[in-house]
Amino acid sequence: MMVHLEGVMKRFGAMTALRGIDLQLKRGCCLGIFGPNGAGKTTLLRILATLTRPSAGTVCIAGRDAVREAEKVRPLLGVLSHRTFLYGHLTARENLQFYGRLFGVKKLPERITEVLHVVGLETNSHQLVRTYSRGMQQRLAIARTILHYPTLLLLDEPYTSLDHHAISRLQELLLQLRSESCTIIMSTHDLHRGLDLCDEIAIQCRGKIVYSGPSLGIDIQGLEQLYSAYVW
Amino acid sequence: MFLDRNHMFHAIAMYISMTTAIFLIFAYAPTDKMQGIVQKIFYFHVSSAITMFFAFFVVFVASIMYLWKSSDWWDAVALSAAEIGVVFCTLVLITGPIWGRPIWGTWWSWDPTLTLTLVLWLIYVAYLMLRIDAHDPKRARFAAILGVVGFVDVPLIRWSVEKWRTLHPKPVLIQEGGTTGIESSAMLLTFVVCLGAFLLLFFYLLWERTSIAQSRHSLEVLRQEIDDLLTR
Amino acid sequence: MSGSKLFIRQVLALLVKDLKTEWRTREIFTSMFVFAVLVIVVFNFAIGADPELIRQVVSGVVWVALLFATVLGLQRAGQMESEEDSLEGVLLALHDRSALFVAKMIAQMLYLVLVVVCSLPLCGIWFRIDFTACIGALGVVFVLGMLGLSIVGTLFSMIVLHTRAREVMLPMLFLPVSVPLTIAAVYATDQLIVGKSLRDITDYLTLIGIFDIVFLTLALMVFDYIVED
Repeated sequence: MMVHLEGVMKRFGAMTALRGIDLQLKRGCCLGIFGPNGAGKTTLLRILATLTRPSAGTVCIAGRDAVREAEKVRPLLGVLSHRTFLYGHLTARENLQFYGRLFGVKKLPERITEVLHVVGLETNSHQLVRTYSRGMQQRLAIARTILHYPTLLLLDEPYTSLDHHAISRLQELLLQLRSESCTIIMSTHDLHRGLDLCDEIAIQCRGKIVYSGPSLGIDIQGLEQLYSAYVW
Repeated sequence: MFLDRNHMFHAIAMYISMTTAIFLIFAYAPTDKMQGIVQKIFYFHVSSAITMFFAFFVVFVASIMYLWKSSDWWDAVALSAAEIGVVFCTLVLITGPIWGRPIWGTWWSWDPTLTLTLVLWLIYVAYLMLRIDAHDPKRARFAAILGVVGFVDVPLIRWSVEKWRTLHPKPVLIQEGGTTGIESSAMLLTFVVCLGAFLLLFFYLLWERTSIAQSRHSLEVLRQEIDDLLTR
Repeated sequence: MSGSKLFIRQVLALLVKDLKTEWRTREIFTSMFVFAVLVIVVFNFAIGADPELIRQVVSGVVWVALLFATVLGLQRAGQMESEEDSLEGVLLALHDRSALFVAKMIAQMLYLVLVVVCSLPLCGIWFRIDFTACIGALGVVFVLGMLGLSIVGTLFSMIVLHTRAREVMLPMLFLPVSVPLTIAAVYATDQLIVGKSLRDITDYLTLIGIFDIVFLTLALMVFDYIVED
């Protein structure tokens, strides 16, 4: 079991964002989380990313307690969120060099060239990130996410800001990573792509997972039906 | 609150001890030969100072406990003790000059303890401002860190201010410092009773203020829960 | 030992990133240096023209300038940090989060050293004081003192990142807590200027040293609590 959550709750002061989440995901699986805004999807992903601690419950990633052994879990994670985590005054290469050194990526220069190629930014790699468009920044953020060969990808609405071409490239990349036994958890509003990529789907609403199951046999209409049935 | 038996006993004990202290100060303790009646303010001044240090020590302990246990109760204690501490601190800073003017000939003499009190006032007022200013829920944690840092700084401030003091001319008249010589056992008794009264006052205020902080927090939690239920 | 190797490598990576950014923008150092010079010049006017009087207060003026330069530098760094909003990206990659503190502290220290190196000669010229006679001993005092300023400053700057009135809160927290350091550093510098040697100021150096050690330990212990959400 790659990911195992039990009874995860998260309170922010008086507000409860997550009310007991149970989740299990096998290695190499891809889970798509759908749900309205405010359902707590981002909070859930942040807890998985060890950026914040749950108020209650256990979080196990790759057999390790993500709360107590967070520093051992972090190198396994690749996190993509609304924020790019890029430095505007550095070039694309320098940004990747920075993260590569932090993660201790071996043969860094070659790896940087490789990921830049995957996201299609080799020609602009010596430009300052400040000069990049939002879409280019998002692509570089994707490169940053996979730089250190993570085994669990946590993607918070990865398709935003991407044009059609970039979205297909990302989809290809994710499919390839999935075939390499990378586990993926993604929250998205894009029902098409989500269903395309994911083996498992879950619908989150008001801090609880109200539906979960395999995506096999469910099409867009089916998903929309489930959505309106479970989300209120 | 007043119906609570323990609380009532505490309040009665406090009133009795304060009244006794005032009686002792004005009717029982002998008037100091050199300083005259102004010396009597010393009982309030030193009692306030000791209570102030004790209050900040409580902030220190409560801050550590809060960081360790993340319990809101400890946070409420720290906040209450800090507020009360600042009040007593202000009393020290007011009674000091009132005492000093007739004795030393100046309103302020940069006496080591008084200077230390002034710096502490600045630090703990900053503590209170931090609590108002920082975003929930990190607010409590940052304040707790300051509560620890501020108190650890006390011996360092004391040492440096004493060394610094050796550069300044001492006031011409009488000895100065945190305590004047207590000449008789009558004075000692008066002082002890006064100190006891102040400490009882401190604990009473601490108890009350902590209860209020706790109630406020519970109210917030209830409000959130109602909000949640209503929006369903 | 691979734990500490990892730590050092991460600190270096962070430091290189910060210094590279600073080199490209030069915002932090320039504001610190210009502000320090401004403080010194204005003090000069405020105190008057008596050279003897100025000689007596010069060490105080220099350290006040450094204190305010530190506050300013930290505020600019904090502002840039907020704008980039990349702190969590770094936290995701760190094994020991205090590496972030150490890197920021070292960066701040380097900026301060540079400010001192640039402004001390100016002071020497304007106030007609020969610093070269005691330059080695002065170096010791400045390094120890600025280390303390960087430690306390970086600690509080990370705290005030999440407050609203950041410009007010940082000096409000930083200045009172640094009082022992200020007192000791000013006095030690003053003694060196009038010709005393390091041996004469050992008690002040000890105070500064203890201050540095105590606050470094404290900072490393509580840093996790500051950056954690």
